[in-house]
Amino acid sequence: MSDREAILSRVRKATTHTASHPGAHPPPDLPGGFERFASRLRAVGGEAHGPVAAWALGEEATRVAGLRAQGGRILATEGASERLGPGPWVVAPPDTPPGAFEDVAVAIVEGTVGVAENAAVAVEGKHARHRALPFLCRYLILLLPTASIFPDQHRATAALPEDAYDDHHLTWISGPSKTADIEQTLVYGAHGPLSLDVIAYEER
Amino acid sequence: MTNPVELGARSELGDPERLARHDAAVFDLRTRRDAAAAEVPDWEALRERAAAIKAHSLDHLDVYLEEFETQAARAGAVVHWAGDATALQRIVGNLLEERGVQRVVKSKSMLTEECGLNPHLEARGIQVVDTDLGERIVQLRHEPPSHIIVPAIHRSRQEIGELFHRHMGTPRGETDPERLTRAARRDLRSRFLAAQATITGVNFAVAASGSIVVVTNEGNADLGMSLPRLHVACVGIEKLIPCMEDLPVFLRLLARSATGQPISAYTSVVTGPRPGAELHIVLVDNGRAGLLAQESHRSALACIRCGACLNTCPVYRRSGGHAYPGPIPGPIGSVLAPAMQAGGAALAHASSLCGSCTAVCPVRIDLHGQLLAWRRETLRPWSSASIASRLAAWVMARPGWFRFSGRIARGIWPVLRRRFPGNPAHGWLRTRDLPPHPGPSFATRWRRERENT
Repeated sequence: MSDREAILSRVRKATTHTASHPGAHPPPDLPGGFERFASRLRAVGGEAHGPVAAWALGEEATRVAGLRAQGGRILATEGASERLGPGPWVVAPPDTPPGAFEDVAVAIVEGTVGVAENAAVAVEGKHARHRALPFLCRYLILLLPTASIFPDQHRATAALPEDAYDDHHLTWISGPSKTADIEQTLVYGAHGPLSLDVIAYEER
Repeated sequence: MTNPVELGARSELGDPERLARHDAAVFDLRTRRDAAAAEVPDWEALRERAAAIKAHSLDHLDVYLEEFETQAARAGAVVHWAGDATALQRIVGNLLEERGVQRVVKSKSMLTEECGLNPHLEARGIQVVDTDLGERIVQLRHEPPSHIIVPAIHRSRQEIGELFHRHMGTPRGETDPERLTRAARRDLRSRFLAAQATITGVNFAVAASGSIVVVTNEGNADLGMSLPRLHVACVGIEKLIPCMEDLPVFLRLLARSATGQPISAYTSVVTGPRPGAELHIVLVDNGRAGLLAQESHRSALACIRCGACLNTCPVYRRSGGHAYPGPIPGPIGSVLAPAMQAGGAALAHASSLCGSCTAVCPVRIDLHGQLLAWRRETLRPWSSASIASRLAAWVMARPGWFRFSGRIARGIWPVLRRRFPGNPAHGWLRTRDLPPHPGPSFATRWRRERENT
C-alpha cells in the first residue's frame, strides 16, 4: 500500500464525521479607520503617512522614498508606478532575475486592504510579480487606499477580491522585518526590510 | 524511576544566574501575551471558535486531506505523502538530489526537527542552512532548539557573540544584539542568493484552495520562497483547516499568544508555485493518525505551536527546552510525547498540574487534564509509584495507622535526608532535596495549644 493510501485509511478509521463546523466567527466591534491603523503600525515598528488625495500621492511618495533611499535605487512595481505618475523611481522589467534586487534601497508596492487591529496590509501576487522585491529591498513602501482599511482581520479577509490568491501568493505585511532572538532585544531588519512606510490615499 | 526532565534540568540550567535569566525571558513572553489578549474583546469566543474548527477539521481529516490534495494539484503544486520520518527524509532527499541541489535554505519547522531531516540531508552531501536567526544560532552550536518560537532563548548575548566571532567574523567581544543581527543578515543574505532550493514548514494548510500559510517575523521564509526555483513545504497532516474564512480566527490568536504581537510581520498564503518554479508539498503522518484514533487524546493535534504553554509553565521555565527528550518541550511536548515517542510517558509526571497551560492555550487544549490522563493510563499496576500511592491511600484512611506511621517517619527523617546507597530515597534525592522536618505533628501542636489556653 502506498503511503497515501495507508495514511488515508488510518485517518478514515479514526474519524467519525460528527463534529460540526462552528460557522464563521462574528467580527468583533473594534475601532477602524486610518488613525487606528496608524497607531497600530507605529506599535509594530512601521510608519503611516497621509491620508493624501490621489493626485498628491506621487509627491508624498517622492518625499518618503527620498528620506529612506538617501540617493539609493528606488524601484516601483508597474501598478504602483501607474498610480504614482513620474518620480524618482524606475519600474523593473518583467524578466529581471530576483538577485538583481539585492542593491535596491526602496521598493514601492501596492497594497490591497489594511487591518486596523494589527496594521497588516495585504500584498497580492499580481501586485508583486517580482516576488523577491518586497523582501530584498532595504526599505519598503506600501500604498493603501484609506477606504480599504478594515477594523479587523475577519472583515479585511472577506473584503479581498475573489482572485486575490490566484497569483501564487498573498502576503499580509505588518511592520518591518524583525527578530528578538538574541536576548529578547527587538531588532528591525532581520532578513527583510529595515523599515515599512504605508502611504494612505483617498481614491476618487 | 528518575524523570528525564529532572536530569536534563540539572545539566542545562545548573548555574543559578542562567536559570534566573531563562525564567525571566520566558515569563516576559507570557506577560506580553496577557497584555495582547486583554486588548481583544472577543478573545474567549475566538479561543472557543478555534477549538471547534480544529475539532471539526480533525474529525473530517480524511475529507480535508483529499480536498487539499486536489486543490493544491490544480494550483500546480505536487503533493507527496509521507507515512513516517524515514519517508519524509527519502522524499525530500530525492527531490533535491534529482535536481542536483547542493545548497538549501530552510525556515523554521518543528516537523522537520521531529523527523531528523537536516542530519539526513547532510549525510547525503546537501548543505542545509537554517535561516531563522535563533535556529541559525543553535545550528552553529550543533544543539537542538530549546523553545519552539525562540530557539536560542537559553543562550546569552556573550555566547552568541563568541559564536558569531568564530563563524561570521564579528569582532571579538561584540555582544550588541543589533550588530550581531546585522552580521547574521549579511551572512545569510549571500546564502539565500546562492541557494538552489528552500524547505519550509507550514502553519496552516487550507483545504478549499490547496493553499499553505507560512508565518514568520524575520521574512526568512518569504526570501526562501521567492529566490530559488524549488520550494519543498513539509506539513503535518493535522495542520489542515477547511477554508480561508477560518484563517483569521487562527491568525488573531497565534502571534498574540506567542509573543504578544497583534499579528506576525509576514503571513504568506501560497497557492501553487510561482511562474517557472516548482512547489512540492509533503503531507506527513509520523504518528499523528495514531493519536487521532485515541479520541480522549486527539485534542493535542489542535496545537498551533504558539509556545504559550511553554512560557507559562513553571517546569519549563526552570528546566529549559533541552531537559525534554522530544522535539517539542513544555506542556504540549509532554502531552504529545506519550503518544508519539517511546518512553514519553515519564514526562506526564513532570508537572505540578497547576493548569496554567490550559488557561493560556489559544485552541483550548485541556493540557493539564491530558497530563493527568496520561499518568493514569501509563502507570503500571505493580510499579513502586503505584504501590506507594495505594499504600498511602490505605494509611490515610485509618487515623490510628496514620498517627503511627507519622511517628515512624519523624524518627527516621534525618536519616532519609542523607544520600547513601540503601536509603530507599536514594534515587529520589539525586535531583531533589528533602526539606528539614517541621517538628511535632499538627495533632500534637493542636493538643498543646489547647492545654496552654
